Amino acid sequence: MPYQAPLPREYYALMPEIAVSITGIVIMMYDAFAPKGSRRGAGYIALAGLVAAGVSVAYLWNESIPPAFSGMLLTDKLRLFFDAIFILVAGVSVLMAMQPLDDERLPAGEYFTLLMFATVGMLLMGGAGDLAMLFLGLETLSITTYVMAGYRRGDLRCNESALKYFILGSFSTGFLLYGIALTYGATKSTNFLKIQQAIASGQITYEPLLTIGVAMILIGLCFKVATAPFHVWTPDVYEGAPTMVTGFMAAGPKAAAFAIFARVFVQVFSPDVPNAANLAATWTDAVALIAVLSMIVGNVIAIQQTNIKRMLAYSSIAHAGYALVGVLARDWQSVAFYMLTYAVMNLGAFTIVTILARQGDEKTELDDYAGIGFHSMGLSVVLMIFMLSLGGIPLTAGFMGKLVIFKQGWQAGFHEVVIIGVLNSAVSLYYYLRPLVVMFFKERETPYVPPKVTAPFYAALAISVIAVFYLGMFPNRTLNALEMNNASKDAKAPAAALPAGGVR
Amino acid sequence: MVPLSWYLALSAVLFTMGAVGILIKRNVIAVLLCLEMMLNAANLALVAFSSFFQQTDGQLLVFLVMVVAAAEAGVGLAIVISVFRNRETLDVDESHLMKL
Repeated sequence: MPYQAPLPREYYALMPEIAVSITGIVIMMYDAFAPKGSRRGAGYIALAGLVAAGVSVAYLWNESIPPAFSGMLLTDKLRLFFDAIFILVAGVSVLMAMQPLDDERLPAGEYFTLLMFATVGMLLMGGAGDLAMLFLGLETLSITTYVMAGYRRGDLRCNESALKYFILGSFSTGFLLYGIALTYGATKSTNFLKIQQAIASGQITYEPLLTIGVAMILIGLCFKVATAPFHVWTPDVYEGAPTMVTGFMAAGPKAAAFAIFARVFVQVFSPDVPNAANLAATWTDAVALIAVLSMIVGNVIAIQQTNIKRMLAYSSIAHAGYALVGVLARDWQSVAFYMLTYAVMNLGAFTIVTILARQGDEKTELDDYAGIGFHSMGLSVVLMIFMLSLGGIPLTAGFMGKLVIFKQGWQAGFHEVVIIGVLNSAVSLYYYLRPLVVMFFKERETPYVPPKVTAPFYAALAISVIAVFYLGMFPNRTLNALEMNNASKDAKAPAAALPAGGVR
Repeated sequence: MVPLSWYLALSAVLFTMGAVGILIKRNVIAVLLCLEMMLNAANLALVAFSSFFQQTDGQLLVFLVMVVAAAEAGVGLAIVISVFRNRETLDVDESHLMKL
């Protein structure tokens, strides 16, 4: 009888998820037994758990682990890099939420528990090697986020945001699931590797089933990443949800949905697979159209917004459009890098909006920002950094992200899409600069009391600012980790393939 | 034996009814029912394929979907209750504080 390790090797692949799940449960227990009125403790436990998850991701980085649990969980660079993004997003979200929860006397234990389980959902999405796991991760994430969006129960805007998010989110889940069912019907399997093999060996039961199934999966995912024309829920949900939740929603779930985009469309239904050329051509056309629409719709409507949260919501639609260029170029590395840069600058911007919005998110109109530039110099300058980064000014992360993704798109031959993208990012500077103009050059009519900035906010801002400049000025280390710099175009095929082996 | 195509046709009809229902129904509870209908349409397709292929993969996925649908309905009803407490109406059109 062979020696049995204390834990089957497969469990090591699941370490980040286990760490975060246990943290969520521990926070629930802590919340039940902790003295009333102590709110910070839950946040510190959450941070500790996320650090543990981060360490396990770092440990897995250099290991080569075969697909675990009958191919349900894939461990490769795609999963681990996205996992790192999710953990970073969750960590900054925890820091961002600590003070507002205190100020508004909202239950902190439940909030951080939900945040942890949302993170588990994202981690499972990153590692999904099977349509079943993809669905489970996505729903774990979505259901917890529905609750978080309506976290301020007495607030009408918050209720409305949760209701809209729930209905449209579940609607898109229905499409995704039906797409999964049809794909299963066409390929006789839900496992990505087996789906690929079925396509490659021409064992599709009925070709249209696969095409319709993939189209419905695409629609479901486009809802989740908020791309035009599936974006209508985004502004209302982002505006109504508590700002700290909006910050999380804009960075985390979007990155997670792009992880799946990369996995499913770049890797599984890739044109490198024999017999998949038709299918790939179809989705490439659809994605190109969606990318262009998202950029234009997002940027044009963002210009007219007077509420900063709505403006950032439309900006997130535009950014989803830019990131889709990386999917078009079939280069998941550039999508991952873009999502990292987008996550840090967006979280930073939302942290500032949280600080300035005060209790109950009352001050989120652009007029509330009038003339505060010289009263709250520090906050205004930091917001300026994030806005310039979102607009793609050199030396910031936003610039590097756009550069990498547009370069890959250009090399892959999507010249029109890239040109539209560059023009759009020029247009976007108009509305990113407007809050700055309002802050520094507009007279204020009402008296202004500078907000109280506490340690967790400083930590969240410090992480975001450092990450924005680090990724903007020294991106090489991160790009090397993604094997982007040394891999030439023709050597990229193996990196884009699914990790094989171990599937029964 | 009932051929596979009948099951698929029924599931497509159910799915369409659910999707259209969400778009045209004004009562939140009716919308929730339509959401369930969409998920169950997918379940029906999965079970039909699964028994047609003589496999268990699809049926296992159905169990997952049922668990998820239950959790989703729980959260959905909770959201509906909190909306109703503040607003005293179940009409989705009344939720229009924020305009597009």
